[in-house]
Amino acid sequence: MSPLIKRPPLSRRTLLRGAIGGTAVALAIPPLEAMFSLGGARAADPQAEPIFGLFFWANGVPWHAAHGGDQAANSQGGDLWTPAAVGPGFAPSPLLTPLAAHQVSVATGLEPKTEVPQPDNGQSDGHMRGFMVAMTGDRIRPEGFDHPSHTLTCLRPTLDQYVAQHEQFYGNAPPRFRSLCLGVSEARFHDYGHWNAISFTGPDSPVIPISNPAQLYGMLFDVPADLMAVGRRATLVDAVLEDAKSLEARLGGTDKQRLEAHLDHLREVQRRLELSSGTCENVPPPPGDSGDLIARTEIHAQILAVALQCGLTRVFSFMLTSPATTHVFSNLGVPNGMHQVCHDGQWDWVRSITEYQMLAFARLLDQLALTKDPMDNSLLDRACIYGVSEYGEGYKHSNVETPVVLAGGACGKLVRGYHYREPGGNLCKVHVTILRALGIDTPSYGFNGAETTEHLTGVLA
Amino acid sequence: MARRLLVPLGIAGTLLGPACYNGASPQDSDAPPETTGSGGSGDPSTGDAPTTGDSGEPGGKEFAPGRAVFPRLTIKQYRNSIEHLLGPALPAPALEPDTNPYLFYTIGAASTFISELGVQQYEEAADQISHAVFDDPARREALVGCVPAAPTDPCVQGFLSSFGRRAYRRPLTPEELTRWVTVADQLSTGDPWRGLQYAVSGILQSPHFLYRVELGEPDPDDPSRLRYTAYEMASRLSFLLWNGPPDDALLDAAETGELLTDAGVLAEAERLLADPRARTAIQEFFAQYLYLGKLDGVTRDPERYPLFTPTLPRSMLLEVQLLVDDLVYRTDSDIRQLFSTRHTFVNSELAALYGIDAPGASPITFVPVDLPEDGPRAGILTLGAFLAINAHETLTSPTLRGKYLRERVLCEIVPPPPGDVDTNLDEEVVDAKTLREKLEQHRKDPVCAGCHAVMDPPGYLFENFDPIGAFRTEDNGYPVDASGDLDGKPLANARELAEALKDDSRVSRCMLIQLFRHATGRLETLTERPGINELHDRFERSGFRYRPLLLDFVVSDVFRTVSEENDA
Repeated sequence: MSPLIKRPPLSRRTLLRGAIGGTAVALAIPPLEAMFSLGGARAADPQAEPIFGLFFWANGVPWHAAHGGDQAANSQGGDLWTPAAVGPGFAPSPLLTPLAAHQVSVATGLEPKTEVPQPDNGQSDGHMRGFMVAMTGDRIRPEGFDHPSHTLTCLRPTLDQYVAQHEQFYGNAPPRFRSLCLGVSEARFHDYGHWNAISFTGPDSPVIPISNPAQLYGMLFDVPADLMAVGRRATLVDAVLEDAKSLEARLGGTDKQRLEAHLDHLREVQRRLELSSGTCENVPPPPGDSGDLIARTEIHAQILAVALQCGLTRVFSFMLTSPATTHVFSNLGVPNGMHQVCHDGQWDWVRSITEYQMLAFARLLDQLALTKDPMDNSLLDRACIYGVSEYGEGYKHSNVETPVVLAGGACGKLVRGYHYREPGGNLCKVHVTILRALGIDTPSYGFNGAETTEHLTGVLA
Repeated sequence: MARRLLVPLGIAGTLLGPACYNGASPQDSDAPPETTGSGGSGDPSTGDAPTTGDSGEPGGKEFAPGRAVFPRLTIKQYRNSIEHLLGPALPAPALEPDTNPYLFYTIGAASTFISELGVQQYEEAADQISHAVFDDPARREALVGCVPAAPTDPCVQGFLSSFGRRAYRRPLTPEELTRWVTVADQLSTGDPWRGLQYAVSGILQSPHFLYRVELGEPDPDDPSRLRYTAYEMASRLSFLLWNGPPDDALLDAAETGELLTDAGVLAEAERLLADPRARTAIQEFFAQYLYLGKLDGVTRDPERYPLFTPTLPRSMLLEVQLLVDDLVYRTDSDIRQLFSTRHTFVNSELAALYGIDAPGASPITFVPVDLPEDGPRAGILTLGAFLAINAHETLTSPTLRGKYLRERVLCEIVPPPPGDVDTNLDEEVVDAKTLREKLEQHRKDPVCAGCHAVMDPPGYLFENFDPIGAFRTEDNGYPVDASGDLDGKPLANARELAEALKDDSRVSRCMLIQLFRHATGRLETLTERPGINELHDRFERSGFRYRPLLLDFVVSDVFRTVSEENDA
């Protein structure tokens, strides 16, 4: 575990400020130790600092009768997801068995309750509506929505980004990265770009996940050697911000917001440059890579665990497969993309694919459970991991019975191994539960018809 | 106030839901949708539906421009800019990926908000690239052209002035120049080269470089609207025709005001089109319009498809590129022939795929061929690229092929499936012998029919081509039936479709619409229709040739004027 200095960092800009206004400043100042802080105050008791992770897998789970329609003859397995027993200590269902070692909690029966605007124009499509409500607690933004090209965006940040920006989560001491967004499968339903990401910081603001382990590694662990040069880069940003002012004045409406978002991000980049003496003490060896989803998940998980452990961030999203994925699971003998396979009602294949995705999820949880601090608390003990898919299943594009997993202990706030069941229940109770588990005051969550004040009873300690 | 995506009017808007579910014919997507929310009644082309925000009378004949957009540079545009500013063979660090709503990267660039990681990548790229230049003594001297003796000497000032002009695509204001000279001074740490490196890095991070600022100025000929300034026209011309920044000659033409005249715009456009960069930019447009990027992801089991090799998708891509180049440049002929010509270019593996002789073809040599007159193929909808990207690993997809035709070639929106749709095929047709029989379910079920009646019938026309585009007469052991129809007109197969498309006015009109969207970075609006109609007339008069279309386009008011409205 790397020690982090707990005091506000001295900004190099404090010394160099005024240079760009024309006042000459001598730069031959020996670096002060206080200038070089890793940032992100770390409480003495790590139990106080929860982690939030969002894990997404595509195309739900295999069809079962609760979704309606007549696929019973095709689907021999029945409901392979919903555990038979409700409440604490449930025996895992076949598809939850890979996760059982981590005593995950699950919520079943939930569905989106958001109003679909009229005319519908495809906003009720199970993939898109379900995805949006699962991620944001709100519906798709009606303006600009286009079904044929799958052009869609959110009305508000996805839950991971909401948490990462929330003052009650990071307070006034955010870590080096407010969040990390990772991806594994590179298959996309099509390249129209709006299903390339599960994390959004706002409307039209996707955060494209990093799929390449080397890129992730470099971002987290490549520390420039020349710290004074890094300081000058931070100072340079002041000039760029100044330079943008004349442009800000000329823009209006959304375009002005786009520029301002750019400049806000630039200030965050500058903040990171000023923290920049730091990365973790225990830098892992450079990673390999793999086309196999499970292998790549393991590689990402190892890097992520080091980053979480040393406090580079406390929020992440993990897109195993993108919504409506066309990923071809040829390693399982499946000849066509998963989306097509669901449409064609090939449930044996859907089952093996879903099982495979759950195995990948298990690998991530394994790594989080394995990574412990000196007091023997694991990252998983501190974490709330929200595992979810875009809908219940792909035969009817059914949004009922949305599969939800809540893994981890959230520093003692989450009850583990609990099955909450409420057929027809409001999916946004999950969001309320998560936010309360993370210590964020949440009187209610859910929007545009999905408002709820309730969390999943039995799941919060 | 809710943020909006791009254009005031959502394209797949209020008309199309009811139209689909009523089984009505598909709507023309460049018909501006109504904002009244009244649903699919009335044909918008009669102009009988008023819209809000229309600057003319309802269905008015007067052209009025659309609003300005504010796109950031796409990855390609950024890299082309770096090469132009600093030379070739520089590091190419990762950047925010482009997105392409409504098919084009320029639309994504104009509508998305950049992410924090994207901004970080710009900062790192600027640092890396500027270091690569200024840490290299020979390189930096060649670039700057003089040796700075002091951090703010005339060498520095002169370079930053000319570099800034190229980077911002207009002269720096005195304040801007002072800013960057001051940076060169204050961050030089005693070495003027170091100061220059930081100044260049800063310029490369400025939104004036990273975004295209094209906001217009009052139009002296028409007080109701704006026109793009001369410098803005320089950028608009170069980004459309070169997918990159204006060169010095183009900036000079802006400086003299030539780019405010028809003759000046035309002269520069012709110069740009004659440059090799234009060939590349034109290929990039067609690649997006025709979805050629999807070929990258095409994989097939070679045991099932022995004609499929790891290089075949790339060969298919090259084939279409050669065909586009042939029509646009070598023969300068009717571009609509893309969809009907039997002329194409094949290497040996494509010749094998098509079952034709191609003397002189090798794995790496493409030769021109004319596909057999009595054969099944004519036009790109019967060539490997289209057929393979619109299929699954082991199944064809009449639905995807029909959808592509509707959306990309005819610009007709395919309305979405209703919510709660049963997307699976009924048990009774699970035993269907062919895929076509399975898909018939779409036509039987009224919930599905409205939309699938639009996509599937033309899609069936391609059933003689398997998932890699090879000709077949059997599917799953049963004879293929490739008959179908386009809007009720029965056709026997894809070859007949190619013939039918020759006279279909939707094809040329749609190509123009796609060019419009790509060129402007947004969807067309109601008030621009008269201008688009006029451009189409010119397109027709020129024999539907693509380069004359580009020239007409850049000279037109559609490209040179802009409204004052913003999307607040």
